[in-house]
Amino acid sequence: MGEKHLVSEQFLDALEFRGLSRRDFLKFCGATSALLGLSELYTPQVASAIEKASKRPPVVWLNFASDSGCTESLIKATYPNAADLVLDILSIDYNETIMAAAGKQAEEVLAKSLKDGRYILIIEGGVPTKKGHGMIAGKEMIDILKDFSGPAAAIIAVGSCATFGGVPSANPNPSQIVGVSEALKKTGVNKAVINLDLCPVNVEYLVGVVVNYLLLGSLPELDSFGRPKMFYGRIIHDNCERRAHFDAGRFVEQFGSKEETMGYCLYKMGCKGPMTSSECPKVRYNDKINWCIGAGAPCIGCAEQGWPDKFARFYERLPGVKIPGFGGIETTADKIGAVAAAATAAGIAIHAVASASSGRTKDKEKEEGK
Amino acid sequence: MEKELKYEWNLSYRIEHWVRVLAIAVLVLTGFYIHSPFMGGGPESYTMAWMNFFHTLSAYALLLGLIVRIYMAFNSSFDRDWQDFGLIRNLKAAPEMLGYYLFLKSSYERARKYDALQAIAYPFIGIVIIFQVMTGAALYKGRLFGFINSSESFRWVSTMLGGESYTRIWHYLAMWVVIIFAGVHIYFSLLRTVTFRDKTFTSMFNGYKLKRKTS
Repeated sequence: MGEKHLVSEQFLDALEFRGLSRRDFLKFCGATSALLGLSELYTPQVASAIEKASKRPPVVWLNFASDSGCTESLIKATYPNAADLVLDILSIDYNETIMAAAGKQAEEVLAKSLKDGRYILIIEGGVPTKKGHGMIAGKEMIDILKDFSGPAAAIIAVGSCATFGGVPSANPNPSQIVGVSEALKKTGVNKAVINLDLCPVNVEYLVGVVVNYLLLGSLPELDSFGRPKMFYGRIIHDNCERRAHFDAGRFVEQFGSKEETMGYCLYKMGCKGPMTSSECPKVRYNDKINWCIGAGAPCIGCAEQGWPDKFARFYERLPGVKIPGFGGIETTADKIGAVAAAATAAGIAIHAVASASSGRTKDKEKEEGK
Repeated sequence: MEKELKYEWNLSYRIEHWVRVLAIAVLVLTGFYIHSPFMGGGPESYTMAWMNFFHTLSAYALLLGLIVRIYMAFNSSFDRDWQDFGLIRNLKAAPEMLGYYLFLKSSYERARKYDALQAIAYPFIGIVIIFQVMTGAALYKGRLFGFINSSESFRWVSTMLGGESYTRIWHYLAMWVVIIFAGVHIYFSLLRTVTFRDKTFTSMFNGYKLKRKTS
């Protein structure tokens, strides 16, 4: 066993004591290296990086305006199992939803992390920018973010709320909630944010980014939305298990139909897979059990900026069009096109009749005008 | 008034025109399918994949055709016509021509090659084509010309239009502009053929148009 000199017996014993067998731990390390695109030769290095991380650096997990769905997603993950992830592997010092400590004790832990610095700051939830709309222990969320972003070694925004505002920032957005990168811009902190956009975040992505950082000491390559290219480099559509039906032109026309039971493509049911970048079809959710399209639901585009407002009408391909100048009147692009074309056709017909009856088409001498 | 047959469109102009016609026809047809698939595929079919393939292929033809056309306007050995498209001059001449077609005037000043409304409409359609290529590139998830990462390089288009769903809507509505242009374009070419008896319609097939004798 080559990894013996990389991972101490003590650490493996400690894991075993907590109910995570060596075998399962190494399986997890293997799965993580596969997720990062490394060969299995790196499994010992991943294990060693995790062991080192179990001592330091800690992870500080801040909850802002969200439904804690990402925390849910985290504690429901079985690889690694939640207790180990929280207590040993990621060493999460502070997470409002799942920490045991409360009140003064918890704040002390937080203050100590802040003093030590060099932690990985994970942020869940959008940041209200309107005064008094989002406070924890008497402090504005945006101020907390400002304080903690400074000493952080890396900032990871998890879930669509933290990345671009998500559901809490949907119209009319009374608290003026924004994503972390925008909030940082507002507070004048100039720091790269890794956006793990999804609702909720896929824990495999989060673990992947954290281990990537522990292993290489650097952040993954990001796309123009600040999302790691390794997880957001391809659109869902390209890896979709129903893609064959799309290419063939076999579509579900209606929920509950025969086509749906045959697993046809959900394109006409408003699937946003063709405009959503994520590795959902491969990584899936809940320990790779299933994912939205696998369960027969069209993708709603939660991995993209502007979700949900700009992806609204989840079961229709395109959003409605508001006609400017007519207040709330909403129509579809199809109707606009058809009406414009019909008006043109009518105009041409009328003009043709008028031209014929005016005698223009007959008078040969006047044809050239001047 | 004496008239003569004039060689108005040489072969390269005509080929360029018909390539665009074909490309637009294929783009509109396949575009409608991609917008809302109207035929179901059977067990061995590959309908949507072919629609996508021909849509992209025709988009390249449309773009390259436009580039060739612009080059020809400046550097054709047959007729360098870029000066005919001066916007201000044509805008000044447009009301008279519009008046003629609305039966308010009995005639209008004819230009060398393109009358005012034509000279305004053609560059406008060129801009619409560029718009379609840009929005299309923003929606395209492959690599343009085999190496440009399309969706990353043209994401700013979607950002400007307010998101990819809206890029799709703009792309779709601009298609209707092209369709309406094509309809009006064909109507006017027929109307001129009938009223002026100058062989406008057939000139795009054989190149010859009946015009006033010059000099």
